[in-house]
Amino acid sequence: MRDAVDKRRRLLLGAALSGMTAIDAGLHARAYAQAKVPAAARASSLRRLEPLRHVETEILNIACFEEGPATGPAVILLHGFPYDIHTYADVAAILAVKGCRAIVPYLRGYGETRFRDMATPRSGEQAALGADVIALMDALHIGRAVFAGHNWGGRAATVAAALWPDRCAGLVTVNSYLIQDLSRAMMPGPPENEEAMWYEYYFQLERGRAGLAANRRKIARMLWEEWSPDWDFDDATFDRSAAALDNPDFVDVAIHSYRHRFGNADGDPRYAELAKRLAAMPPITVPAATLDGDSDGVVAAGDGSASAAKFTARRIHRVVKGAGHNVPQEAPEAFAAAVTELVKV
Amino acid sequence: MARASSTQRLEPLRHVDAGALNVAYYETGPANGPVAVLLHGFPYDIHSYVDVAPMLASQGCRVIVPYLRGYGPTRFRDAATRRSGEQAAMGADLMALMDALQIQRAVFAGYDWGGRAACIGAALWPERCIGLISANSYLIQDIARAMRPAPAIHEVPLWYQYYFQIERGRSGLAANRRDIAKILWQQWSPNWAFDDACFERTALAHDNPDYVDVVIHSYRHRFGLAEGDPQYADIQRKLAALPPVTVPAITLDGAGDGVVPATDGKASAAKFTGRRTHHVIPRAGHNLPQEEPEAFAAAVMELIKA
Repeated sequence: MRDAVDKRRRLLLGAALSGMTAIDAGLHARAYAQAKVPAAARASSLRRLEPLRHVETEILNIACFEEGPATGPAVILLHGFPYDIHTYADVAAILAVKGCRAIVPYLRGYGETRFRDMATPRSGEQAALGADVIALMDALHIGRAVFAGHNWGGRAATVAAALWPDRCAGLVTVNSYLIQDLSRAMMPGPPENEEAMWYEYYFQLERGRAGLAANRRKIARMLWEEWSPDWDFDDATFDRSAAALDNPDFVDVAIHSYRHRFGNADGDPRYAELAKRLAAMPPITVPAATLDGDSDGVVAAGDGSASAAKFTARRIHRVVKGAGHNVPQEAPEAFAAAVTELVKV
Repeated sequence: MARASSTQRLEPLRHVDAGALNVAYYETGPANGPVAVLLHGFPYDIHSYVDVAPMLASQGCRVIVPYLRGYGPTRFRDAATRRSGEQAAMGADLMALMDALQIQRAVFAGYDWGGRAACIGAALWPERCIGLISANSYLIQDIARAMRPAPAIHEVPLWYQYYFQIERGRSGLAANRRDIAKILWQQWSPNWAFDDACFERTALAHDNPDYVDVVIHSYRHRFGLAEGDPQYADIQRKLAALPPVTVPAITLDGAGDGVVPATDGKASAAKFTGRRTHHVIPRAGHNLPQEEPEAFAAAVMELIKA
């Protein structure tokens, strides 16, 4: 298995290094300079993001951490699967020092966030994740914010930026444009990439649901290791996040998310209208910064050109050297810098 | 020396109508010798036995090496026959081949899909079986328990099985059958330094027009997510009871098997009610007969001499 992962990394690195334009090479050099931060900064702090506040939306009671001046420009920091808000343990502190109001919610199915009604479908579809961001902003009376995220959180950020641009001061994502094209979900990828998605295929079966329920920590840890091969996280760092996966809705939301994206689960009718708009793959019309980790073990780093047409406003793309899939936690300075640049615009 | 699997092809092939199939097979050794049927796995072909077959022939065995349904020049005789890859079909194919060749008894030897076919033949038709050689021991699938998860670390190598559950996986296998097979060879036999010629020789067998259908059906059926062919319903019903192997058996595990971890054989001990010995072969991966032909051939000869 190790060999396969190593091979995959080589393949992904090859993809990242080929086909770069002169402009991209310049960006790449800049990213390289950024990556030369002191090693100490890469060793993510062990602080817990506490205390949490709890915010009621129509659907959820959202647990979130807030840091920084209440009057500062708002930044919503959105975590991924199988991670939690501590992806932003360092980013939140950096942004607060720079005067931002950083808001870090647990997504539906994670940590202390709860569904308010037993009867609400535990949907993990992309439209729901985007709608949750806007509902949170409404509940907090925040008009506009920078949306920043990776993985599921990057998708939530992309969805919200595309459908509610008037609420978005700018978008920061890892892995660029993340709205899923369900109409192409049955088109196979290169086998090396398909192998990296083993968990997504596993989750299509009831065996995968039972496996996730029984072994969520072991599965999460394997994914962390596969996706961030150069990140030397310790047990305490992992356990701090893994506790969020004990949420009673975690398995339902995760399984629904991975089935829905392949057309193997129906969406919640509540989000049908949003899902229809997402099916058109709407562009991002707000300023955007996109980051790829050059040792990302699940989504190959690229030069950003493949998704260029989806960004109709100013957009910069950077490859963060040494970072894997969990870019905000692995390279917090690079991630925070992308946010503050958008805040200043 | 024998580890560097030879580059010769198992030719010429013979063809025989047998049940649902026209089976392409290689035969070597004296026609009146004790018979060994050598059954290959997925995603491999008859060249898993390229070295085992001549070793057995030189010791007096009549060796039969068929291409399984969906592989190489083996063909379905009727376009309307379902392209089932279920375990019962593999066992039925083995019996049909024995009947077509008028072979009364033989050693059944195999690994992976072929080991499963051998186990089924031995369990359901013991009167036709001199003895069983199976890599990874007892291989009859317990479909009723297929939805029970394994430890997470053991689910990862099964990525292709989960991939094949959705149409994306079918398209992926059709488009990238060689790349997928090569990844699996590498994962399953991490200590085996096969070369391109060795891989290509076998990968040709996957261009069979029924390969994708049979493979996809096999991996869906074992999880209870595809129906079986009704013509095998009786056999499958017997297999659901997980019948014991009553004939003499030798089971082999490769210590370097990257998909089915080597064991001490105890977990499956109750399934072998006849004499059974279990060996772990150092370094060997999942394609045991091609990686360690002497060990595999020695096990076959041990049963024939007994």
